[in-house]
Amino acid sequence: MPSASSHAADRRTGFDRALLGGKAVLLVAAATLVLAFPRMAPDAFILSVGVVIASYAALAVGWNFVGGFTGYISLGHAAYSGLGGYATALLIIDGGLNPWVALGVGALGVALVAVPIGVASLRVRGASFVIVSIAMVLILLLVSQSWSEVTGGSSGLRVPRPFGEDVLRPEQHERFFYLHVALVVVALLVWWAIDRSRFGMGLKAIREDEDKAQSLGVPTFRYKLVVFVISAFFTALAGGLYALWFGYLDPIFQFSILIGSYMVLMSLLGGIRSLLGPVVGAVIVGYALEYFKNQYGDTQFHLVALGLLLGVVVLFMPDGVLPAIGSLVNRFRPTAASIREESAAELLERSEETRQAEEVHR
Amino acid sequence: MSGPLLLQSIILGLLLGGLYALLAAGLTLYFGVMRVVMIAHSAFLILAAYLAWYFHRETGIDPLFSLVITVPLFFVTGVAMQRLLLSRLRPATLTMMSVLLTFAIALTIEGMLGYVFSGTQRRIQLGYSGSNFEVFGANIAAVKLIAFGLAALALLGLYLVMKKTRFGQALRATIQHPEAARLLGINTDRIAGYGFGIGLATAAIGGTALSLDSTIYPSLHWHWIGPLMAIIVIGGLGSIPGAAIAAMVLGVSQSLLQVPMGTTWAQTVFYLALFATLMIRPQGFFGGRLAQRF
Repeated sequence: MPSASSHAADRRTGFDRALLGGKAVLLVAAATLVLAFPRMAPDAFILSVGVVIASYAALAVGWNFVGGFTGYISLGHAAYSGLGGYATALLIIDGGLNPWVALGVGALGVALVAVPIGVASLRVRGASFVIVSIAMVLILLLVSQSWSEVTGGSSGLRVPRPFGEDVLRPEQHERFFYLHVALVVVALLVWWAIDRSRFGMGLKAIREDEDKAQSLGVPTFRYKLVVFVISAFFTALAGGLYALWFGYLDPIFQFSILIGSYMVLMSLLGGIRSLLGPVVGAVIVGYALEYFKNQYGDTQFHLVALGLLLGVVVLFMPDGVLPAIGSLVNRFRPTAASIREESAAELLERSEETRQAEEVHR
Repeated sequence: MSGPLLLQSIILGLLLGGLYALLAAGLTLYFGVMRVVMIAHSAFLILAAYLAWYFHRETGIDPLFSLVITVPLFFVTGVAMQRLLLSRLRPATLTMMSVLLTFAIALTIEGMLGYVFSGTQRRIQLGYSGSNFEVFGANIAAVKLIAFGLAALALLGLYLVMKKTRFGQALRATIQHPEAARLLGINTDRIAGYGFGIGLATAAIGGTALSLDSTIYPSLHWHWIGPLMAIIVIGGLGSIPGAAIAAMVLGVSQSLLQVPMGTTWAQTVFYLALFATLMIRPQGFFGGRLAQRF
């Protein structure tokens, strides 16, 4: 019946158009809210919380280049944000560079350092990769604490402010808020471009089944290495920008596994497969973290809260919030007949279910 | 380096290596039975040390007796963790997600320890804490020897269970080839649960040994998990003898390097060895095909 099917197609496009319109409205509303935030913030403290959350978003998007495309979960991305911070600071203090030049040069330097690290750690999959990523942070913590002539050791390092002393505190926060947002937008654009490219297709094939991807001719090692270096670059930029804003570096906070786990939690909560997932996750987790620190600051209770939150996300929604909402919306789609992306895990689960159903049937 | 000092470094390295070996054996056992990297292993280690300290403070009895409580408790916790939490994860992403789940458990334990016992550094004072004896001019503390003895006994027990009992045979079969083990009628899910329990029991023993001669605080577990994970990768993931040998070698190296380089820099030997291993032999020195694929 050609008329019925064309009718269904019409309805589908109508639904899709409505969905697209809804998404556009949401996006414009969110963008307006973000841009207007510094004007709406009642005081400098709330504004500084906004900068922290924007910084988390930049870190999470940087992390998601590796985590989202290849499925390699790195718990040690604090290594690159910390290195970015220290590289920027040292290039200003010892190199006498302009702060913004130092930020760029520092991030490029970190990207170069990430090449040998990537070569070593991407040779192994899963477990060993995570172990190496954690080891990197622990090494850098040891080095930055011991090598006090350069890094200032445990007493920390003061980073010169890029804006003059005449720029007041709230004004500083406002400028850095917009700078962080700009960094997030640039990183998202790069992520989006990769997502739609042949390169991105190869990376996602690696995520689903690395052996099959390799046998289909995807140069897996080179692809993984390139995206790893891109990820290190953006993470280092985020770390450097944060250092310029905060003005002080302490090894314990820079090279902390906690920072790396924040990035993972944010991306996972938002959804590592979706473009905006890490940003949504950063807003939720960043707000929760600041709230917990405010409430239970003196005790170690914020660690418990973080641990429980991570556990719940891993156990009950490993795909994240955005994909969950997406599938909810899809339920209202008149005919869900289009080809949709399916992960290897879902495929396995589905085939397992049908197998069990068949056994019951027998 | 003078003769007695060299000897002392080697002996201290061997004693430390024994503790590393026991803990790394537990860590590699989890990986063997379930392909899980158990980040919370060292958090449980510190938890056991705190329980030993608390036991000693409340009762005044030697902390070694806390083992009677902590070992069964940790075994049951391990079985429950495997059956209730880890087995819920999807098989396709098990390795990655288990890292995150056990990381979450480690954070929760660290936070609870800080919340309940505060971040103050704790240390057990015993009658024999200060006593030591000389071997060819080298000074060895009695508590370090006791800790080593405890670790060595536990490792020997683990070896005997793995090699001599029917349960150990089933456990090794599950590690080698889970599907084939299932075909032979082994209930691999239950065996994996018990394997997990045994792994956690090693943390209980290690923690008690640790509490005898070191100062403990909630975030101490980060100093242990790095070296332990490096050891199991170097030894080959899933290989208990590999883990034990790598632990002894690295323990002695660390102890020897401490004299010229200082404590902090000497720790980097674990990570340098880790990177060297990945460049030369990514599957580790004793692991088979298993280690390379994960």
